[in-house]
Amino acid sequence: MVPTMDSASQQSASSPGPASRGETAAAAEGAEMPSTPCVEIADFNAWYGDFQAIHQLSLNIPNNKVTAFIGPSGCGKSTLLKWINRMNDVIPSARAQGHMVLKAISANSEFASPARATETDILAADTDVVSLRRRIGIVFQKPNPFPKSIYQNVAFGPHLHLNASRREMDELVEWALRKAALWDEVKDRLQQSALGLSGGQQQRLCIARAIAIGPEILLMDEPCSALDPASTSRIEDLIYELGKQYTIVIVTHNMQQASRVSDLTAFFYQGRLVESGATEQIFTKPKEKQTEDYVTGKFG
Amino acid sequence: MTLPAALRRDDRVAQAAKAKHRKRLSYAFYLLCVLIAMLSVVVLVVLLLSISVQGSSRLSTDLLTQSHSELRPAEAGMWPAIIGTLFICGVCALTALPLGIGTAVFLEEFKPRRSELRLLRKWIRLPSQTWNGIANGLFRALRWFHGFIQLNISNLAGVPSIVYGLLGLSLFVYMFNVFGQIKVNEADGWELFGVQHYYQVLSLERGQVVLIPMEEGDPPTKKITQPLAGVTTAGQPIEIQVWQPGTPKPTGAVERRQTVRKGATGGRYSRHAWYYFRLPFGRSFLAAGLTLSLVILPLVIISTQEALRAVPPSMREASLGLGATTWQTTREVCLPAAVPGIMTGSILSMGRAIGEAAPLLVILGAAIAKNSGPKHLMDDAVTMPVLIYNWAGRQQEVYQELAAAAIIVLLVVLLIMNSLAIYLRQRLRQK
Repeated sequence: MVPTMDSASQQSASSPGPASRGETAAAAEGAEMPSTPCVEIADFNAWYGDFQAIHQLSLNIPNNKVTAFIGPSGCGKSTLLKWINRMNDVIPSARAQGHMVLKAISANSEFASPARATETDILAADTDVVSLRRRIGIVFQKPNPFPKSIYQNVAFGPHLHLNASRREMDELVEWALRKAALWDEVKDRLQQSALGLSGGQQQRLCIARAIAIGPEILLMDEPCSALDPASTSRIEDLIYELGKQYTIVIVTHNMQQASRVSDLTAFFYQGRLVESGATEQIFTKPKEKQTEDYVTGKFG
Repeated sequence: MTLPAALRRDDRVAQAAKAKHRKRLSYAFYLLCVLIAMLSVVVLVVLLLSISVQGSSRLSTDLLTQSHSELRPAEAGMWPAIIGTLFICGVCALTALPLGIGTAVFLEEFKPRRSELRLLRKWIRLPSQTWNGIANGLFRALRWFHGFIQLNISNLAGVPSIVYGLLGLSLFVYMFNVFGQIKVNEADGWELFGVQHYYQVLSLERGQVVLIPMEEGDPPTKKITQPLAGVTTAGQPIEIQVWQPGTPKPTGAVERRQTVRKGATGGRYSRHAWYYFRLPFGRSFLAAGLTLSLVILPLVIISTQEALRAVPPSMREASLGLGATTWQTTREVCLPAAVPGIMTGSILSMGRAIGEAAPLLVILGAAIAKNSGPKHLMDDAVTMPVLIYNWAGRQQEVYQELAAAAIIVLLVVLLIMNSLAIYLRQRLRQK
């Protein structure tokens, strides 16, 4: 447990640990789902070939909050996550139907981007996937840095999208690495191969790489499942910090993790959304029996 | 519950015997495997030994710098063959590698995707159900087409190279006679550039000729009856004089060189710049190189595909997730990671091309008299395998030795190429 603070001002100044996040969020907003959605999903269905992975799902992902998707394996949470930035396009048999819209709300509007602040129908046939993925970054389960130098890894995305001079690129790389709490560890070896980093460092590098193109949303597909407890806790701290500026969607099998880092939680079971709400409420006063069974560890 | 009978029986002696028998059998099989493995090595060693014993006496600088000689085989060499092989393999590499790597990238990185079909939806207005049916059908058709190409390439890798030789003969040498038939000593097909035709006439000076430029549509021979403009073999313009038999001959060497006998006939003589180009290609090293590129194309494609398949899918996902296009992902991530494999495959394929004799015999014929490398794009060439084939088929002892020596040179070249492939692979893997 984090030591209890005397006043609210002290609390915000000293940036509380992730453990208290769910509680503060719940305290501030009550058990209600916030009403400003960043991604609006309604009547969403997804298939792999003939197998329907997601049935009639409706969910709003709120702006500038950390949303956790939980549920047993094969419940469709990763599928939904990967449809949000159309990563499922690479799977030949994957298809989806329904309403999925990236809203024009952008709190971190200091980023300039051509597509920003426009409403985008994610599933539309003519959606520009490239600019969509620029607005919605993704971090994968296993750290997957390119076999290039640390610097080149972070500069990869900006190099694709931006016209940056060498000096601007240096600044951008440093900014992204600082954001990902990795700068101090790698600043002396930026030109060395990223494969020489530890697993946790590699995953933070992947996060730095994802935020270097200035996305509005960060999708994280079980970002800690391949890491040891120490690295996991560092990544969780990072997610907590980033959650102040970005809309984050995190898929996790670890319910403690969901309760530590997320403001809101959605519980999936067999391709359907069973329940969603403030994390505090889902873990303490779930409305559905299935949710209660899952969060208390009776199955899954 | 009692134990099953087989476990209850006390027959330790029989069991020990069984164990001993099993061990013996295992050992016997091990010996058999060693023998079989040795057999192939022994065959190779015997071959190499006999060749080096036979050919070692002919390994000299002459072998590398001289050309084939009918009269003085002791001084014969394989210089034109080395250069010819180099040129043909150059053409082969310049065509087969880009085509092969491109095809492999198409097959591996640009697989048909449903999401691309979705783009059609903009133009086709149909009810959702009907559209889904059509999209499914289209997607299956595209996938079938992809698989069809893949199957063809796998099968082409097994086609005997002589068949490719015949294909190259009609495709590159004759081009199905679309551009006219090839005839010896006549204008061949469509001569596009880099050629000048002359009439060649003997002058009064022994061994010297004069040249008269030939115009388009002139007959193949010309009878000289009156003085006319011409050039020397060095290209200097001169006025050609005519000597009437019965009158006194000119006395000066320069004058005699510029004078021809009245009534002398000139035959066709062509000068080619190195960039001489005509259609069809005829029996040229260009046609031979292109044919060899057909032979190795499936090998290049398959090895490149293997190399691309070995790139972890997570690398592609990482790149696509950052908003890279398929082509950017291929260029920045997949190809760099696959380079060691692609290079190894390419070099091994080139090794195959160097050793290939059958298609070259079909395209260029078995002649080995040429004493230089190709002088222009449409020139023919001698190659190492064809030279070895020719020499090895002769009766004289000396040619047998020359053939063995040439085989050693060819093997050394192949060995160098294979070592280069291994070295590059190790070097790039470490990076």
